Amino acid sequence: MNFELTEDQKMIRDMVRDFAKKYVEPGILDRDASMEFPHDLVAQLADQGLMGMVYPEEYGGAGVDTISFALAIEELARYDGSLALTVASHTSLCTGHIAQFGSKELKDKYMPDLVSATKLGGWGLTEAGSGSDASGMKTTAVLDGDHWIINGGKLFITQGSVGKTFVILAVTDRSLGNKGISAFVLESDMPGFSVGEKMDKLGMRSSDTRELVFENVKVPKENLVGELNHGFIDTMKVLEGGRIGIGALAVGLARGALEDSITHAKERVQFGKPISKLQAIQFKIAEMATDLEGARLLVHQAAYLKDQGKSFGVEASTAKYHASEVGMKICSDGIQILGGYGYMEEYHVERYYRDMKLCEIGEGTSEVQKMVIAKSMLK
Amino acid sequence: MKFFVCCKQVPDVAMAFQIKDGELQKDDLNYVLNAYDASAVEESLVIKDAVSELDLSLVLMGAEKGKEALRKGLAMGANDAFHIEDDAFEGSDSHAAANVLEAFFKDKEYDAILCGKQSQDMDMGLTGGLLAEKLNIPYVTNAVGLEVNEEAKSILVTRQGDAGQEKVELSFPCIVSCSNDMNEPRIPSLRGIMQSKKKPMNKVSVADLGLATDAVGKSGSKSTLLSMDFPKARKAGEKFEGEASELVSTLIDKLTNEAKVL
Repeated sequence: MNFELTEDQKMIRDMVRDFAKKYVEPGILDRDASMEFPHDLVAQLADQGLMGMVYPEEYGGAGVDTISFALAIEELARYDGSLALTVASHTSLCTGHIAQFGSKELKDKYMPDLVSATKLGGWGLTEAGSGSDASGMKTTAVLDGDHWIINGGKLFITQGSVGKTFVILAVTDRSLGNKGISAFVLESDMPGFSVGEKMDKLGMRSSDTRELVFENVKVPKENLVGELNHGFIDTMKVLEGGRIGIGALAVGLARGALEDSITHAKERVQFGKPISKLQAIQFKIAEMATDLEGARLLVHQAAYLKDQGKSFGVEASTAKYHASEVGMKICSDGIQILGGYGYMEEYHVERYYRDMKLCEIGEGTSEVQKMVIAKSMLK
Repeated sequence: MKFFVCCKQVPDVAMAFQIKDGELQKDDLNYVLNAYDASAVEESLVIKDAVSELDLSLVLMGAEKGKEALRKGLAMGANDAFHIEDDAFEGSDSHAAANVLEAFFKDKEYDAILCGKQSQDMDMGLTGGLLAEKLNIPYVTNAVGLEVNEEAKSILVTRQGDAGQEKVELSFPCIVSCSNDMNEPRIPSLRGIMQSKKKPMNKVSVADLGLATDAVGKSGSKSTLLSMDFPKARKAGEKFEGEASELVSTLIDKLTNEAKVL
């Protein structure tokens, strides 16, 4: 048992920390207000090697472990949840699905551009009437000669308008239920592929969230990812990895709330002394720090198990569920410590709070995580 | 061309320091590459980017942990590193450090040695000058810009003085101490970090350098650190606001009756 980070992990954490402080923190309020996708920052992240860091060198990645990935996401989320979400979803979902289940031809065709972020990736499971329960999925794929014809649409798709490469789930045999769903790689310039209007959101405002519409999109037969009718089963595996990223994102946001609360508590003088001298504040800080550390350990545990090639699905759900739930409390307590300042956008903690809410919803709600955890407890 | 950068690992000055019984408490400190040395590495890499055959080596004298600072420099882009590590170094002052570096450089070939103008922890700013004296080569301090002239085998140094900037030309081999105003050190890329593991990290001991153990550490030092303490806390000043005439009366009253300087 060893809780020490390796030298590589520390260097990667410090590098992303320096990067985030220097390039991500400036302009964050403007990005949150304008909802503009930060193309320049994403290009810088790509130059830095952070848009596909876990993938093999043959595809342009660095082959680093999942703990390093979680550390990088935490450091980015410390200032900007939206940017961390962009990196996490691009890396784990679209690229992750192709990397785990795609044929060698698909990997060779799509991975280099995804890992270098020359093309951003999006991933489509959710629809207006379907999400974690895929039984209501309306999108269909019908084989027509050498092509699949895809019709339908997806909702709340991250990188919806800035993405160029998408993995989309579609029904290929309705009679088989969840076992009749398959995954396909779509390109945004395929005829019939269109993108809806920008969606105004509570948080994660400078990440790109859109509706996608498919009208007779003709997809080459070889763009089927994984086995036919195995898409939803593969999707569950892809989401297991993704949940480590969302857990790390929650840890980063919560750390932002804690650090900003400590700074404020030391500076804010009330009743003749800094409020950090008041036990009411000290206890809040202690609770926040304890919850944060517990969440981080759960995230790192899930990442460690993944790196060891062991089963990590339940641990990833536990980490995401716990980190996002205590994260909400940490951010709420942070706002309380800052008082009126905490309610103001320029003091940042209210943004962490708004961004954090997504962590309880995206890549499976807290309730879905509890279903996964309970199923393993009660089997 | 061959450049060396002398590096030091220092406590991260952004952290809170603890002093107990006159000694710095080191257990909880994070250590980083001295910021002035990072600027020296960066400037060398800027020259290396323009003159691809520049070979850049790093040298650091210090404890085992010091390899982390060297790896940072390697990740930024240096070719290799020398880590002079020996328990005998404990308690070395700038003079003893310069003894070690002199011994290291005496059989090395180089065009320039760059170093930070001082270390962030002790702020002495002596080692570069002492080393130049011992190696008997030209030395310029507080550089904010470097231009290499390969043909003339010289380097044009822009140095910051009190009243302005000076340009000084030095012939190779030479030593230049660098200001952190010179540049903004690059953040290593992930690729740089992964490549840094494969770059040579050469271990060097006091014995390798042919130095007697009494030439280093406390016995090789010419000064002794007796104790450390924080600056005495000063009473906060008073701020007065209001009309000018009232402010003047208040000020004169305070200066006369409280400060008793009028």
